[in-house]
Amino acid sequence: MRKIPIVTFLFAVFALGATSLPASAKVNVFACEPEWAALTTALGGEDVEVFTATTARQDPHQIQARPALISRLRGADLAVCTGAELEIGWMPVLLRQSSNAKVQPGAPGYFEATQQVKLLEVPTRLDRAEGDIHPQGNPHIQGDPRNMQIIAAALAKRLAAIDPAHAAGYTERGKAFDEKLAQAIQGWQKEATPLKGVNVVIYHKEWIYLTNWLGMHEVGTIEPKPGVPPGSAYLAQLLEEIPQKNVKMVIYSAYQDPRAPEFISAKAKIPAVMLPFTVGGTEASRDLFDLYEDTIKRLLAGVAAHG
Amino acid sequence: MAEASLDILWPAFLAGLLVLATHVPLGKLVLDRGIVFIDLAIAQVAGLGVVIADFLGWEPNGWSVQVAAVAAALIAAGFLIWTERHLALLQEAVIGVVFVVAASAEIILFGFNPHGAEHLKDLLVGQILWVSPAQLLPVLVLYAAVLAIYWRFDLARQRVLFYAVFAVTVTASVQLVGVFLVFASLIVPALAARIVDMRDPLRFAYVFGFVGYVLGLLGSDMLDFPTGAAIVCTLAAMAAVTLIVRAAKSVAA
Repeated sequence: MRKIPIVTFLFAVFALGATSLPASAKVNVFACEPEWAALTTALGGEDVEVFTATTARQDPHQIQARPALISRLRGADLAVCTGAELEIGWMPVLLRQSSNAKVQPGAPGYFEATQQVKLLEVPTRLDRAEGDIHPQGNPHIQGDPRNMQIIAAALAKRLAAIDPAHAAGYTERGKAFDEKLAQAIQGWQKEATPLKGVNVVIYHKEWIYLTNWLGMHEVGTIEPKPGVPPGSAYLAQLLEEIPQKNVKMVIYSAYQDPRAPEFISAKAKIPAVMLPFTVGGTEASRDLFDLYEDTIKRLLAGVAAHG
Repeated sequence: MAEASLDILWPAFLAGLLVLATHVPLGKLVLDRGIVFIDLAIAQVAGLGVVIADFLGWEPNGWSVQVAAVAAALIAAGFLIWTERHLALLQEAVIGVVFVVAASAEIILFGFNPHGAEHLKDLLVGQILWVSPAQLLPVLVLYAAVLAIYWRFDLARQRVLFYAVFAVTVTASVQLVGVFLVFASLIVPALAARIVDMRDPLRFAYVFGFVGYVLGLLGSDMLDFPTGAAIVCTLAAMAAVTLIVRAAKSVAA
């Protein structure tokens, strides 16, 4: 029976050591990925307090369970996520554990970016043999800044609805963001002219929105099926196709292991280009504007390196 | 906000108590037999069972996954009973081979069915913080049975019963808390009890595991570390302290 005092003592320590959330009149936002944290901050300014569940160096398909994830979602007024099953491995269980009615799917406090735009690569048939595919289409929509424009407009409206006291601020910042982004897109498109029609090999199927925007062509993937590592016969075939299809570079993202793209790069003698993928993926990509800026800079360097 | 944190941590804490209740006594037996990696091998084979079931086209639902996992784990246990009888001194090596072969067979099967990888992840990479109270109930019933068998029979002598009980116990716990935490709960308290050489090692190991889980959960909450990993590291740090205390004592003596 000597365990009982220990239990009491330790529960008391539990209570003392508990984390506290910032108490404020601000809208507490739980962003699933860094790009949505950046967007919410751009639109919400001083009126929002943003917590980011994943970092740019993490595979957003899977994350480790930490207590703050639950407590932050519990205290959130708004959850901003990608959706289209990208977070299927952790968000449903997190939503359940949070038992916060405000942010459950269907509630105004639950915002899915993929609901706002047209998804590409929607599978025509659903077969589990095709790999780790998302039935609603490719969820990695942040690659195209034109998507970001549409999502920003919808998110600004949602913020205004949730926090009517500051509605004018959201509308104003939303408009300013839209104008700035529209102008930047013009500049990026001009800058990226040399990328038009360039053939690339990608690691994981997560670049279609970027390549679609810039007029590049994905002609091969290092993963034979999404989520499946390649075998030697597959790699041999890929290496054979690279010169045949005039592939200029291999693209992979900051959170992936560079060994496979470096292997292809060395064998095929084409550059392997690491892209930030999201805000914070590289040192230069501090916000959404930097993200597209840095992505294009790296792609242009890749084309130049190939000569 | 303290209550909010408590509210988050208590299902994980209960899961920890359940895992400790069974793994501490089994861990002592595993350590005595010198087969510490058996839990990893059994868990991996249970995972292979699920991947094979998936490959054969069984639609995975709650029960068929559990049946496939437990059946595969029991087959592995049966094989290990046989090898212990015939290759007694090489048992640890056999266990290691079972582990890598099961893991590699899974990788090959993923090529045909990548979704098997997701089921495997669900099975092996259980996360203690995601545990729901509803998940705990069947495990509570199962572990009550395991403990009853443990106290009723001498598992150190009953080879067949030991392997069977162990296979079922581990298959349940890896889904709850993941392989790393299962390994740590099994081995570290038993190891610490060995280090300090207590007269009642089981009692010491229970208290040791209990304190380790509580401190690990608290540390994870305060420092916002991934919870399972935080508990494993806490248990290891505590074992290191027992080692230092023992060394200091022997110097003093």
